[in-house]
Amino acid sequence: MGSIVKLFKEMDWSIVAAVILLLVIGVLFIYSSGITSTGELVSNEYLKQIIWASSGMLIMILAATFDLKRVKDHFLLIYILSVILLVFTFLFGKTVNGARSWLGIAGEYGIQPSELMKITTAMYLARYLDTSSHEPSSIKRFALSFSIIALPMLLILIQPDFGTALVFIPIYLFMAYAGGINRRYLVFFVLTGALTIVFTVMPLWQRLIADKQSFVLRVFYDKPYFYYTLGIFFTVMVLSFLGFRLFKKKYYYWAIYTTLLFLVSMSASELGHKLLKDYQIMRLVVFIDPSIDPLGSGWNILQSITAIGSGGFVGKGFLKGTQSHYRYLPQQSTDFIFSIISEEMGFLGGLLVFALFLYILVKLSLIIKTQHSITQASFVSGMFGIIFFHFIINAGMAMGVMPITGIPLLFLSYGGSSLWAICLGLGLCLGIGARKFES
Amino acid sequence: MSDFTDDSRRSFDKLTIILIVLAALAFLSYSSYLFYLQLVRGSEYQSKAITISRQIERLPAQRGEIYDRNYNLPLVLNVDSFALVMVPGELPADMRDTVFIKLAALLDEPVDELRRKVPPSYYKLFQQIELLSSVDQSIITKIAERIDEFPGISWYSRPKRNYLESGSFSHVIGYVGEITRDELKVFYNRGYQSGDIIGKTGIERQYDSILRGTDGRQFNTVDVKGRSIESASRQVEPPLMGKNLMLTLDRNTQLLAEKALGDRIGSIVVLKPSNGEILALASYPSFNANDIVARGGNNIYAKLLEDPGTPLIHRAFQSSYPPASTYKTIMTAAILEEEAIGPEETILCTGEISYGDRVFRCWIRRPGHGRLNLAGGLAQSCDVYFWEVAKDKLGIERMVSYSREFGFGSLTNIDLPGEVPGFVPTPQWKERTFNEKWLGGDTLNMAIGQGYLLTSPLQIANMMAMVVNSGVIFKPHLLKEVRDPRDGSVLTKILPEVLVSSSISKETFKKTRENLRLVISAGTAQYPVNTKVVSVAGKTGTAEVGFADRWHSWFVGYGPYDAENIDDVIVVVAMIEAANPWEWWAPYASNLIFQGYFSGMNYEEAAKKLGLVGKTAPPAVRVE
Repeated sequence: MGSIVKLFKEMDWSIVAAVILLLVIGVLFIYSSGITSTGELVSNEYLKQIIWASSGMLIMILAATFDLKRVKDHFLLIYILSVILLVFTFLFGKTVNGARSWLGIAGEYGIQPSELMKITTAMYLARYLDTSSHEPSSIKRFALSFSIIALPMLLILIQPDFGTALVFIPIYLFMAYAGGINRRYLVFFVLTGALTIVFTVMPLWQRLIADKQSFVLRVFYDKPYFYYTLGIFFTVMVLSFLGFRLFKKKYYYWAIYTTLLFLVSMSASELGHKLLKDYQIMRLVVFIDPSIDPLGSGWNILQSITAIGSGGFVGKGFLKGTQSHYRYLPQQSTDFIFSIISEEMGFLGGLLVFALFLYILVKLSLIIKTQHSITQASFVSGMFGIIFFHFIINAGMAMGVMPITGIPLLFLSYGGSSLWAICLGLGLCLGIGARKFES
Repeated sequence: MSDFTDDSRRSFDKLTIILIVLAALAFLSYSSYLFYLQLVRGSEYQSKAITISRQIERLPAQRGEIYDRNYNLPLVLNVDSFALVMVPGELPADMRDTVFIKLAALLDEPVDELRRKVPPSYYKLFQQIELLSSVDQSIITKIAERIDEFPGISWYSRPKRNYLESGSFSHVIGYVGEITRDELKVFYNRGYQSGDIIGKTGIERQYDSILRGTDGRQFNTVDVKGRSIESASRQVEPPLMGKNLMLTLDRNTQLLAEKALGDRIGSIVVLKPSNGEILALASYPSFNANDIVARGGNNIYAKLLEDPGTPLIHRAFQSSYPPASTYKTIMTAAILEEEAIGPEETILCTGEISYGDRVFRCWIRRPGHGRLNLAGGLAQSCDVYFWEVAKDKLGIERMVSYSREFGFGSLTNIDLPGEVPGFVPTPQWKERTFNEKWLGGDTLNMAIGQGYLLTSPLQIANMMAMVVNSGVIFKPHLLKEVRDPRDGSVLTKILPEVLVSSSISKETFKKTRENLRLVISAGTAQYPVNTKVVSVAGKTGTAEVGFADRWHSWFVGYGPYDAENIDDVIVVVAMIEAANPWEWWAPYASNLIFQGYFSGMNYEEAAKKLGLVGKTAPPAVRVE
């Protein structure tokens, strides 16, 4: 018992307070989203959210008392068990909105194992980064650490749950950076991702938005030019490789680096065209210019911006928003909760939400400062990554600067699975912070 | 390359600073943008929020029409009808009860049914909920005259499917219905929405994505209460009509088949072996698709589901039966190819043989057929001949292998949902399933197409197609062309696709065809298949199913036997279940179809010509 009391003394309760404040704001505005223009309450989501939030807090506190160091040798087992659970879900789970991602518990209630997978993956990745820190081959370390993330990500992609799978990328980047993975590979990874998106969207973008189609850009997607370009890049890469072998000049290295970047991302975008439906690519295009499709997916963005913009400095007042109560902001309680908050509480409310997230993120960074082992530092960095990514994407989407991906705003959006997962992760971070003097 | 020292006391100060800077940058940029949205451009959005909002109205696409191979008269049309919808959020709470009661009276629907469509959890929705999908113009007019009494109610044109041909056509064409929750879960990612009309069975389901077209949208600018702003421009994205389908089905042949079947439980297939096109595919009992798409169709559907005659099943490819003596076609090909016994070598039929502790009786009973060679055995459908060859010469393994070679036990991949693959038993299967050894008796049963062997009538048609084509089965299909709905130009042409390609020699198939011709010219089918307009070759079959006086009746044949151009040849399969009173109808039905198809007669003319008016063959004794 004594150790628990000591732990609670050392724990940073201000983080807990910030989370509770966010949860309260969340419940209030989930309540608001359930009110119609005629003032009737037609949804009991807010009651369910109170249950989710309180159980989430309980998970967080319990997780804080849990000493990660003691079980660090079992992280691989936990990881494998979660992967098995994920496969089981894919085979026998419930289908919601076209993705087989739910395991039912009782009636309507269920959990998404993919959310739990985020935390267990981070745990095992942290462990791997630590144990492999003396590995001499930096590329092998990059490849192995990435495959730890890639396996669950693929399993979630085939559910298919694009949004949740996407979160694994920031987890990896933040953790790998903390774990000392060679930065050239991380930059390569990020650039490949960015270029793949650009090449995937390019044909639709050229067709729908660009005033004049640029012929030069067609070499990146239009066949047969596409193949010529691939061939040129490949030739240059092979020649540079020979050059590097013979002369050991640095610029050959960078030539290989660049050509490989284009080769990989062009091939990946070709795969993207094969696998993604037009309307999925369209979402990305619409994000570039919502007025292309003002009443399809662009509708959501324009409505959300209007709701936020009309909020002004102090907002229209709690339960007084017009956009949210009269008109259909879709998924008000999940994807677009920030729009309601900003409409009804104005700039001050939005700023409060931003500040609370900033506070939690800064406090997490400060926990990392006190650490001396890669396992703990990279795990906390990974949790930082999750919160940061959800915040940037969801709030950005509501303001129209990020594409629509269906990623919830943590602590505020309605829903249990992602909340429980982050409470678990954050609780473990609190525990790590409170035990800073033990190691 | 690591920034961090490799000491055990690592320091993460640099990482901490980077993360804090990152978080601060995000905070600053998002706060500034929020400031820009809410304070710099705030007033602009405020006026926009109050005065203008846009409403989307769906303009449903016309579903494509379906034609037979002549592309003259459609088999399915769309007729004018309206869908009545409600936007629950626009209906004030105090008017809710009155509106529901008034609507119920006007529509002649129980009030509870309407309330079930709009449960309380929908009351806040500003989306359209469909109340009824087929409402007449007259009722819409009544509502329109008093629209102020019906806040939140609107309607749009939703053409109703009108199936001009029903009966045996309904099985093939299928019908449409509103998408169910389960279907939506599966099809969500393919762009289907709640309230969509989707094909439920048959061609309507198989080619739903081609038929459905793309819904258009009309954008109305409305104020915050949902009232249209007249002055604002109306943007319209017109709907794209679904594409028309031209089937391989021939209306006249299908009607001929339907009537030749009459009210006998069973099915008929008419197939062009040269490319796999299906000219007719009839099954009885059938249903009328118009009853199902009409209001109250759910009750009709429930009745059809419960009907012990299973009218929703298409017996030609969704049921399988023992093929009985039609299987002797494969036996003949196998015997010839394997040279299991010389074609002229004879076997004595005394009407029965003893095998193990059982006596197997030929259908003709004692004193038997006498001495028969292969051609005679097939023509007389002598069971003893095939038993002797199967047990002493051919063997079960080769029989299994030849059955599979002819496509038995696998799907024909016909372009209709719900096909069954039938079944080819093997000794291994029997041991695994029943834990019993495969006995010689099982081989004898299989040799005459009885026992565990199961085939669909469509597979039997394929079997004959293989014989006609000397070793090739083309995938049986119903879609011939996809056509543009506006000018009828051909968008896609379905090309024949090889389903099975056999290595059996051409000579074997030629010999098999000659033997099949003898069945008609001098064998069991000589009397019933007596049409003069075309020379037919084929095989009868009579399957034991456990009744003393009734059997499944089969006939599979093709004609013209002496065709110069293989494109002229058709394969006909008739299958009459033992549930009907025994009249050995399958060969007569096939005879009618050959007569009608090759002389251009309709059923009545063909029946008169063949002396089969008012039905029927005299209740005959059992013949194979």
